[in-house]
Amino acid sequence: MAVGEGKFVLYPNIRPVLTAGDYRFSTTQQLSSESGPSGPFDDSDLPVDALETHVRVRSPRYSLPADQVLSTFPPANSEGSYGMRLPQIVIKRRTLPWERELVVGQPDVPWLALVLIAEGEAELKLNQPVAECVSPDRPLLGVADAERGNYLSISKSKIDAIFPTQKDVRLLAHARQVDIDDTELMMGDDDGFLAVVISNRLPLPGTDAEGREVPVKYLACLVNLEGQFDRLRPEAPPRRSTYFPEVLSTVYVGAVDHDRTAMQLDQQFLAATSVEGLVAPRAIADLGLDAMEAEPRYQIAPQQRVLDAAVTTPSNAGSSVGGWSKVKGVSSSDVYAEMASGFVSAVVQPFDPVHRFPVLLHWSFTSVGDATFRSLMEGLNSGLLGTLPLDDDADAAADTATPAAGRPALELVETGHVGLPHRNRRGDEVRCWYRGPFVAHPTTDQTATGAERLALAHAADQLRIVVPDGREDLSLASAFEIGRLLALARPSITAALLRWRQDAYRLALQRTVFTAIDTRFYGGLLAQIDPAYETMSAVLSKTLVDAMVAAPERVVGSPSPLVRPGRPIKGLAGDPARTIERGFAIDEGALTGSAPMVLDRLATVPVATGAPKSTVIDRHAVAQLDAAVLDLVGDSLKGQIDVIRAARGRTTRVALNDARRRRDALDRLIAERKDR
Amino acid sequence: MRADTLTLFSEMPLHLSTSVADLVVLDDDDDGGMPADLRSWLVRLRLLEGVPFAYLVADSQLLPEESIRFFYLDRRYTDALVQGALSVGTVNSDDRTQLTAAYPAIRAELDREERNLRRAPTDPRVTGDTGPISGFLLRSQAVSGWPGLHVNAFSVGLDRDADADFPADDTRRMRLLRLERLAPAVLLCLFDGIPRTVHIEEPRQGVQFGFAAEADGDDIVATLQPRDKNTFEYLPGAEIDVPFRVGGAPGVVDIQQLERDLAGFPQTGAGDTLDAAEYALQLVRFPFRQVFGDQAPGPTIATVFRPTVSYQQLATVMFQEIDP
Repeated sequence: MAVGEGKFVLYPNIRPVLTAGDYRFSTTQQLSSESGPSGPFDDSDLPVDALETHVRVRSPRYSLPADQVLSTFPPANSEGSYGMRLPQIVIKRRTLPWERELVVGQPDVPWLALVLIAEGEAELKLNQPVAECVSPDRPLLGVADAERGNYLSISKSKIDAIFPTQKDVRLLAHARQVDIDDTELMMGDDDGFLAVVISNRLPLPGTDAEGREVPVKYLACLVNLEGQFDRLRPEAPPRRSTYFPEVLSTVYVGAVDHDRTAMQLDQQFLAATSVEGLVAPRAIADLGLDAMEAEPRYQIAPQQRVLDAAVTTPSNAGSSVGGWSKVKGVSSSDVYAEMASGFVSAVVQPFDPVHRFPVLLHWSFTSVGDATFRSLMEGLNSGLLGTLPLDDDADAAADTATPAAGRPALELVETGHVGLPHRNRRGDEVRCWYRGPFVAHPTTDQTATGAERLALAHAADQLRIVVPDGREDLSLASAFEIGRLLALARPSITAALLRWRQDAYRLALQRTVFTAIDTRFYGGLLAQIDPAYETMSAVLSKTLVDAMVAAPERVVGSPSPLVRPGRPIKGLAGDPARTIERGFAIDEGALTGSAPMVLDRLATVPVATGAPKSTVIDRHAVAQLDAAVLDLVGDSLKGQIDVIRAARGRTTRVALNDARRRRDALDRLIAERKDR
Repeated sequence: MRADTLTLFSEMPLHLSTSVADLVVLDDDDDGGMPADLRSWLVRLRLLEGVPFAYLVADSQLLPEESIRFFYLDRRYTDALVQGALSVGTVNSDDRTQLTAAYPAIRAELDREERNLRRAPTDPRVTGDTGPISGFLLRSQAVSGWPGLHVNAFSVGLDRDADADFPADDTRRMRLLRLERLAPAVLLCLFDGIPRTVHIEEPRQGVQFGFAAEADGDDIVATLQPRDKNTFEYLPGAEIDVPFRVGGAPGVVDIQQLERDLAGFPQTGAGDTLDAAEYALQLVRFPFRQVFGDQAPGPTIATVFRPTVSYQQLATVMFQEIDP
């Protein structure tokens, strides 16, 4: 079922088919036959052994594998204003909180709870054998998933105060289905189904006796409630319309007893009536102590520090009539005082038993400040840089009207410059102007090509400016020095600069020389001024040609291949002599053999009629043919060369006379002719 | 280095063929007009990385507690920073001549590349001419208490409820050049351009559960506005004060009492016993978004900026011992 982008679906629970534990499947088969060799067979005649299959359904019990945790909130080891957010853990396996049956017959009650412990309220023992991780009187039967685990050691009174009640546990775990494509909600799960366990306690920050905020460190523990569900408070104590919260929180009953709640109610009632008579808190505590004497079964542990806190805030307490909703009334002094007061449970040990709960996962974070994001953002003083707080409200004005002792008033001008004391190089104490990179008005240099951009300076002193009022403006000079010092502070950057300088210097030098030559070259000046121009032109041309020959693909593009395979000619297949014989219509085999033989044969070939002139080849002429042909060709070539020489200028002659030129076949022919 | 005439001549044709325009960087690791490692450091320097805070804001009165201050970035100042860094590499006047020649190209390259610093690897490179840079400094508990704030800037006016989920390359969304905490409670943000609207949002670390906080005098009260379990809309009526457990540790919520309180709103599903999903639904919290933008009547210069050169005051402070 698709969820839809940006949406998610909440389920009260997703229960597995089998809860964790060992199971045995018994398979039996009954065979019978109505007809056989000796009549029908019944079950006893055809017995089949029962098949016993043992199945173990495993589930984390003492530790939660790290790959099962999708996220925790608040982030581990973080510090923030989390006072209005309930801690939570998101688990990838959707059925995990319901994989063990905590209460028989109530499969919707999760066996996990996320409890939030302020510093000092309980003790977390790490890396203990799993047998030690549970209360000694309630051992957990069945297999353990780990050798060693962590456990939380907490007194019964703290369980009553902190742990969810039996009725709450069911509401604190739910399953969630998110869109598998919506990465923000889903954060890397594979099927989009998640289980979420929420805490029942807000991580409120504390304040000390003077009302200053004090950060409180909280520990969030995912605990296993197996076997100890009845140790949780059955339900929250009933509420009264009028009471005195500070006092109530200081007087608590240590021992566990079924009528404990009733006694506390009495105390509350006493306290409430006392408040109406404006009895001092000290007296109320006395009432509590009297009650203890009257009923020795109960141990009452008044906490002096908190009583003091109560005395300091009587108006606050009076204003909280009607509910526990005042966060300050609830949290403030109490959390911190209880943290500081420490090990009360040790004092009342016999009457306040300590229980152990296995901790599957734990993380800690710090809650600080009672401001909310919204109140902070809406209370922000907003303005352009250079707005001073006295512009707005009277309180701030009162603060700034009297600047801090020893400080002159801030000297600020509309351009954003600030006047600062400055000792110049002559030792004079003067005042200078300084403006950081942040200004309240758009500057004139905002475009990339703007002419207002700062010209290159090579030293900070080039950027010192004297403004019309006679004082120096050191803003840009300071910036230059900061940039220089930051670069010098990093050896790698200094090295990179020097390396770049060396490489770039060589390149730039060549470029400069070439540019100078270019200018003279194209200006046509070189021909008039420099007599070597003609020679240089020839050298340059030759160098260019050489470069072209060496790498023609860089100048004129890729050359065509030197040899290109020709097209096969039809009818030329086979022996060339046959082809010629066929072409001239002479006898087959007439052209085969040595030259004299061929000539002999050809002499006898009859010439076709109708030819203009019949030719008889003199066999003696054949012997002199080679020398005659050579003479003829040599003479004609010589004439051609003379023509070419006459037509071309000296450049060509230079080229031909160049001794380094490679000799080709024609050269060899001419040389041979000359030798002859 | 000696320039050999013959070598120069022989290299001339090739030089002529290779004297092309300035190199344009096509990849983050490309050497452009300067080595890539040096460029990335200079780009970060231009975005004021490493510059001591006292040089950014000269006086604490310019950035009081719980304030946000918007500004324009002075390009001349950042240019001076770069020039100072470059001056480390120049030793003699030859170097300076060369740097002078190369400087316009260096500056243009840094102008382009500073916008690619925070670019996601999959996004296209930013090119083209640069415009003005603006930003803000936020000094507040909100910075230290809510790590991972979301800052979005837009070139159009948007109100709080606008669905401002524009894609990253939409022209209405402005690029962030830098978003960094300079101190635990001071946030610096630089925009590539001048935004009309700035949104600052609470961190969105998944779905969160909790309560709303309302100021009641000096105290803060935890409240809950019930929701309809089918439509997820808030139900009309007064908010519920969150009940805490009698005799419990601070902050422990009395869930049964909360359920009884919610039972007064049948649409929440609490009428017939609340289940875990319905309880979670009531607790879901969404991040708060603060919008900074133009207000209906624009602030006058006088309210935004009030020069305070006070010679009389200054004279009293500075010369009080001399002046009888």
